[in-house]
Amino acid sequence: MAENALRIDELAKVFGGLAAVDGVSLTVPAGERRVLIGPNGAGKTTLFHCITGTLRPTRGSVKLFGRDVTRLAEYRRTALGMGRTFQITNVFPDLTLGENLALAIVGTDRRKWVLHRPMQAYEGVRNQALESLERVGLAGRADQPAKLVSYGERRQLELALALNTRPRVLFLDEPCAGLSPAERQRISQMIAGLPRDITLLMIEHDMDVALGLADRVTVLHQGRVILEGSPDEVRANAQVRDVYFGHA
Amino acid sequence: MEKARIALLLVALAAALALPFTAGPFWTGLVTQMYIFGLLALSVDLLLGHAGLFSLTHASFFAVSAYTVAILHVRYDVPTALAAPAGILAGTLLALVFGLAVRTRGVYFILITIAFGYVVWGVAHRWSSFTGGDNGVTNVPFPAIGAAAITSHTQYYYLVLAAIIVCGLGYRVFMRSPFGLGLRGIKASESRMQSLGFRTSAHLYAAFVLSGALASFAGVLYVYYNKFVNPVAASFPVSVEAALMAIVGGTGTIIGPFLGAAVVLGLRNWVSSFFEMHASIMGAVFIATVLWAPQGLVGIAGRIRARWRKARRG
Amino acid sequence: MLTSAVLQAINGVSLAALLFLLASGFTLSFGLMRVVNMAHGAYYLLGGYIGLSIVQKTGSFALALAGGGAAIVVLGYLIDRFLIRRTGENHLAQVLLTVGVAFVLGDVALQIWGGDNLMVPAPAFLKGAVVLPGGVYYPKYRFVLIFLGVIVGLVLWLLYRKTQLGAVVRAGVDDREQVNATGINVDRLFVMVSALASFLAGMAGVAGGAFLTLYPGAEWEILVYALVVVIVGGLGSLEGAMIGALIVGLLDAYGRWLLPEFSYFVLFGPIALLMLFRPRGLFGRDH
Repeated sequence: MAENALRIDELAKVFGGLAAVDGVSLTVPAGERRVLIGPNGAGKTTLFHCITGTLRPTRGSVKLFGRDVTRLAEYRRTALGMGRTFQITNVFPDLTLGENLALAIVGTDRRKWVLHRPMQAYEGVRNQALESLERVGLAGRADQPAKLVSYGERRQLELALALNTRPRVLFLDEPCAGLSPAERQRISQMIAGLPRDITLLMIEHDMDVALGLADRVTVLHQGRVILEGSPDEVRANAQVRDVYFGHA
Repeated sequence: MEKARIALLLVALAAALALPFTAGPFWTGLVTQMYIFGLLALSVDLLLGHAGLFSLTHASFFAVSAYTVAILHVRYDVPTALAAPAGILAGTLLALVFGLAVRTRGVYFILITIAFGYVVWGVAHRWSSFTGGDNGVTNVPFPAIGAAAITSHTQYYYLVLAAIIVCGLGYRVFMRSPFGLGLRGIKASESRMQSLGFRTSAHLYAAFVLSGALASFAGVLYVYYNKFVNPVAASFPVSVEAALMAIVGGTGTIIGPFLGAAVVLGLRNWVSSFFEMHASIMGAVFIATVLWAPQGLVGIAGRIRARWRKARRG
Repeated sequence: MLTSAVLQAINGVSLAALLFLLASGFTLSFGLMRVVNMAHGAYYLLGGYIGLSIVQKTGSFALALAGGGAAIVVLGYLIDRFLIRRTGENHLAQVLLTVGVAFVLGDVALQIWGGDNLMVPAPAFLKGAVVLPGGVYYPKYRFVLIFLGVIVGLVLWLLYRKTQLGAVVRAGVDDREQVNATGINVDRLFVMVSALASFLAGMAGVAGGAFLTLYPGAEWEILVYALVVVIVGGLGSLEGAMIGALIVGLLDAYGRWLLPEFSYFVLFGPIALLMLFRPRGLFGRDH
């Protein structure tokens, strides 16, 4: 495929007088695993919001597989293949795990408009939901309400939800935030095990996890890209170390 | 527990069927009202309990539908077979327009629905040449389709009972459908739903229109029962009480709004026999429900059941 | 024709003045404290009735204005402290609770003052007519109302925009965390703003009761008008309440004059348009 999965040109988002994202350009080829790192306040999540449609950028453009999606509503970007997870887990607490996944599964197809047949009648949806739960390690819990599930398990559910929207490009916002080392391992293994035809763009604070999963790394600081390179290049770079460890 | 629930429903059904013969015309009339307002409360709860939208304008659809049926019968001699569907259609068309309100959320939505409701009340009240003003439209006949004609309140009671059972079953299917689940998803987290590909405003609009149609159906049942309609049917207290019934009974359920209607209507009826200040009693019920029983009767029943189960295990 | 149009404009502006008194309190209460108080209309009615009784007992209109306002300050404080506080920021609960309170207040008022249309007697020097250019007679009192509305509007605006206190309230409307962080006694601020809103509502009842009648049900009619003002102007905005009041007042006056049977439709028009283009109101913001 000649097109890049994602192409961002001079994207900026200004709040009041403050530019949270200040002219970011970024190109991610299809199938690549790109990790976005940078200290707190670097604008990473804001950038994600602008790309996925939660926020409207002040200027710049976003192209998904060559198609300009800058002005499209979020739900349409999802239909075109953008999936995402949220930094603060955003699942449906009062619904069961199975129902959570069912929504993700029908979200991108016409079945979500059906009001005369029960969801239970859709065997395919149920099976897919059960399979998904197994893959993220939540087998057998389909009938548990999401609010009763532990924090780490909710993060796993987040991932499962995003995966079921049939994404071509997956945006993961700090998937390991707040997890114990064992849980961190688990999630990074899951991410590493994702099929290569899904392009990945991930924000991650944990350097080891980030550099372990990445094909390429983009470093953000104060809303701008200060470096882009392979994990080794970034690891060795002095400027990055300064920015992270407080000299910048 | 499922068997116990089914048994309970069967008992309730039996009691409902036997009512006109065991309790006489006064109670038959009162319970018919409970069914009708329970249905109105159910329509409000479609939005409240499932989509998380608090609409205070549903009396508008209820009244517009009632007025349409009444005027068609009384002034133009239109038969039931046309008048009743016309009533539902009129109310639903209004819902298509008022559905604009779903462009807002939260408090804004509540306030806008209140304002919309007042517009309808105001028109019913001021456009006297058409609506009859405060006197309303009277002498609405019983419904009749071809040879099948209702001739007594008892017969009408059974018609209404059949109607709400059908609505209840349909509502059940709706609740469990992907669309119904989608509404509950929107209530839980609209942002998440959008990122999963749902065009949430469209779903909410559809739900609003659907609930308006249900409220309109309740309006048709109402006008044939009451035999007249006046601006009070479109008033704010009717909308607010419908919401209260849903909450008192338990939102998000099918039986809750009907239980709530039974409690509210029963209470008002009982109290008015010895105490003049009805509005204060209603007000007190609102206050008490909000402060002490926000989950309603179904919620209270749930808590009792949970405690009982715990005690059994413990 | 032109004279009529001008007269209707004055009618509209005088209603706007009254609506502003009611809506400003409501919108600031929401903006700062996130409280939706549906009993505001009942505060108006009760304030009016109490003012009426004060005039009947003492003959002083000024005392009635102050007394009606003060009585509602006390009532409002009690309702706030013992009932509304318990609902936190649950708007649905607030609406239901305050509607219940309004039902009770309305019923109590009915028991005490009865169901007839009553009017607060205004002092002689405020009543009567003025002669406008063109030889038209027009009720003086409406100009008094406009005057009152302008004074209150000016005072509120100055307080809101030009004082320290106003700056704190504005900051609070924008972001409550900010106010908490500055160490200002947030509780006391809330009580003050709440008291102001109650006072204005009660006083509006007396002022309004001298040219619009007081009767059971009036509390809901005036509340709905105030709600439309707040919807159009935007929740939390003082300027919005001013502009919204003018829009609603003028639309109501012209609506009643040109299309009396559909005057409520005239209210519907701007709301519907607003829903299409600016759901948050003219000066509202995302909460």
